[in-house]
Amino acid sequence: MMQRKPILRVTSKVFMPFILIFALYVQFHGDFGPGGGFQAGVIFGSSFILYALIFGLHDAKLVLPSVVLEVMAALGVLIYAGTGVVSFFTGDNFLNYNSLAHDPLHGQHYGILIVELGVGLTVFAAMTLIFYTFAGRGR
Amino acid sequence: MMFAAAAAALIVAIFLGLIRAYLGPTIYDRILAGNMIGTMTVILIAVHGFLAGRPEFLDIALVYALINFIGTIAILKYFRFKDLGHAGTDKGREEVEDDA
Repeated sequence: MMQRKPILRVTSKVFMPFILIFALYVQFHGDFGPGGGFQAGVIFGSSFILYALIFGLHDAKLVLPSVVLEVMAALGVLIYAGTGVVSFFTGDNFLNYNSLAHDPLHGQHYGILIVELGVGLTVFAAMTLIFYTFAGRGR
Repeated sequence: MMFAAAAAALIVAIFLGLIRAYLGPTIYDRILAGNMIGTMTVILIAVHGFLAGRPEFLDIALVYALINFIGTIAILKYFRFKDLGHAGTDKGREEVEDDA
């Protein structure tokens, strides 16, 4: 049925790469402007939600299976917690970024980047999984 | 001053949209009113960004426009098919049903 809607199909196909690029911009520009891991994850997930809306849940699950999303959701939390645990080995507190590099400023930079990556991964996977579950009711 | 006047006009337009969403006789009037409120909000965020001297708000306006677009498509699809995951492709691409 959605095959009969060429405008929607073409528009979403054209939009998807730009949405993904914008999500990456929000992810990695988050420490200078508005944005961060959560927002980037939501934008990244919204592109796949758009794909699932236009091309159907079945095709979206061929692109991005639920199993991969479940692993990604757990992996993001692991990255976040793992970054915190790394600072234990140098005798610092949990999530103390200063100990991640020799220079505390660089350590802060890497710490925020890695933690935001974990947040973005988990939020992206969780948002897409919520949509999959919601749209897949009764089938 | 110019941006403040534009913001006031946009807020009035949003209230007109709210009235249409409340009164709208059909579901499509309400969806259109919601979409219009979303568009006004995008411009309002951009105007507020320039009013407050923080042009980074344009990023937020872009995100809002994107979410508004996807949300409108989702609402329309739900009212058309009563199913968000539907595509007519679940049983194979050849079996495209008629547009009823």
